[in-house]
Amino acid sequence: MENIIEINHLSKSFGEVKAVSDLTLRVKKGELFAFLGVNGAGKSTTISIICGQLEKDGGEVFVCGENIEKNSREIKKKIGVVFQNSALDSALSVRDNLKSRAALYGITGKNFTKRLSELAELLDFENLLGRTVGKLSGGQRRRIDIARALIHRPQVLILDEPTTGLDPQTRRLLWNVVQSLRKTDNMTVFLTTHYMEEAADADYVIILDSGKISAEGTPLELKNKYTGDFITLYNPTEDALETLGLPYEKIRDAARIAVGNTAQATALITKHPEIFTDYEITKGKMDDVFLSVTGKKLTGGDEK
Amino acid sequence: MTGLWSLTRRNTKLFFKDKGMFISSLITPLILLVLYVTFLANVYRDGFMSAVAGMNIDVTIIDGTVGGQLISSLLAVCCVTVAFCSNLLMIQDKTSGARADITVSPVKKSTLAISYFLASAFSTVIIGFTALGAGLLYLLKMGWYMSLSDVLLMALDVILLTLFGTALSSCINFPLSTNGQASAVGTIVSAGYGFICGAYMPISNFSGGLQKVISFLPGTYGTSLLRNHALRGVYAEMTDAGFPEEVINSIRDSIDCNIYFFGTKVSEGAMYAVLAGSTALLIGIYVLMNVLKKARKR
Repeated sequence: MENIIEINHLSKSFGEVKAVSDLTLRVKKGELFAFLGVNGAGKSTTISIICGQLEKDGGEVFVCGENIEKNSREIKKKIGVVFQNSALDSALSVRDNLKSRAALYGITGKNFTKRLSELAELLDFENLLGRTVGKLSGGQRRRIDIARALIHRPQVLILDEPTTGLDPQTRRLLWNVVQSLRKTDNMTVFLTTHYMEEAADADYVIILDSGKISAEGTPLELKNKYTGDFITLYNPTEDALETLGLPYEKIRDAARIAVGNTAQATALITKHPEIFTDYEITKGKMDDVFLSVTGKKLTGGDEK
Repeated sequence: MTGLWSLTRRNTKLFFKDKGMFISSLITPLILLVLYVTFLANVYRDGFMSAVAGMNIDVTIIDGTVGGQLISSLLAVCCVTVAFCSNLLMIQDKTSGARADITVSPVKKSTLAISYFLASAFSTVIIGFTALGAGLLYLLKMGWYMSLSDVLLMALDVILLTLFGTALSSCINFPLSTNGQASAVGTIVSAGYGFICGAYMPISNFSGGLQKVISFLPGTYGTSLLRNHALRGVYAEMTDAGFPEEVINSIRDSIDCNIYFFGTKVSEGAMYAVLAGSTALLIGIYVLMNVLKKARKR
């Protein structure tokens, strides 16, 4: 699969602070790429450099085969960005906002009308077109932000913490739209998020810490490498848990027993079939991976 | 070109739809209007009456003089303060993130810079011409002595002063990037410009030193041009009514129709040259600021 984003030894400092340090990564065409890290890890700096908003100190960045230093305007035609905070004009209507932004890509007249109705149907905002953006709810506004990013049919969609603070319904809608566009248009999605369950659906994940890559791989590779498996044993007796002699976490009507891997879990179950009558085996979660890699927890944007 | 037109339209629409920005831009002209309605008009009327005491005079000439002074002052502050406030959008876009959203598209930064200038000038001209229209209607009621050429010259003055205000505000607003800075600029210009351009009080009332300082400010000449064109008909009527030339000249001096640069009377042609020249210079500085920023970024 071809690389749609290629970053080689990227570095950027703000005074003494090294925001990004010797970052090298590849994003394959059509994949969902998750970029994780606590606030200040360097995610937004990297995105700003990719989008041509910020100058880099060193390294190379290629998007769709074009060097950002040489052909920034061509790259901008191919990327769509959903910023952390909505950047639309609060005083203007949804239609006026999208019209003014579409014109920047040369989409005007009938082409704009057609694209607007496609997006309004896709993101379910036909009834919001005449409303002032400043008067929309957070979820409604987010839908318009996404429409703005998709207005010119980008090849790469950059989502910078797109679902922070959103209601579950809008989050679901957003992900359904993104997944559908990935299928129909083979669109690449570059995602930064604080929600680990979103990262778990990614094709490839990079965990960034203090501007450097701490871990990378598919979610499965990361889980296998950085966390073990867990057996959730329902309604266990104290004697049974003592017999197993393994560390466990007590939850309401069960105990979560940590084991090294699936093979160990299988061995344990076959050794004590009288104890494992009601149980399930699960892989570690992306939260566990993140905690194990960085020593930090991500909870909706805050480092703990 | 589509991008420039679209951005200019967006910026203009934003100014008129953003009630905060729109109303704050009109604060200085409104203050001026209140000052005239409450006492300034009476002060000037009494002043003119005392200057022509003992002469048989049609009261509409005096009303026409006060009215002409009011609308020229109003237009002088309007053209600059509205330009400043509408051009604050270039700072607001930085703080709201809209600038990042715009520049993530393939639009050139120079196109964005030109769009701010054009939108600010366009919004100000709309307000300036509306104010001019309202002012002319007011003069029609108070005492009409203007010719068509006076009206057209006043329209030209509004356009020139608008371009000057837009160019000046573009240079001042360009490096600013926070709401605090925007608010400070808006407040200083709204509060101060009415005084230094001679709208609140004629410059001739200021001390000699201050008059010399103010004579270096190009906006002063814009006010004087507006005043000359608003009052030319009134002065002609006074001459026809047999007013002594000295009396008319002293009225012209007292309300800044005559402006002196270190004792030398500045002609209307020179006033146009100063205003147009300083506007061209400021536009040049604005272009240079954009070019240097781009070069520094590289």
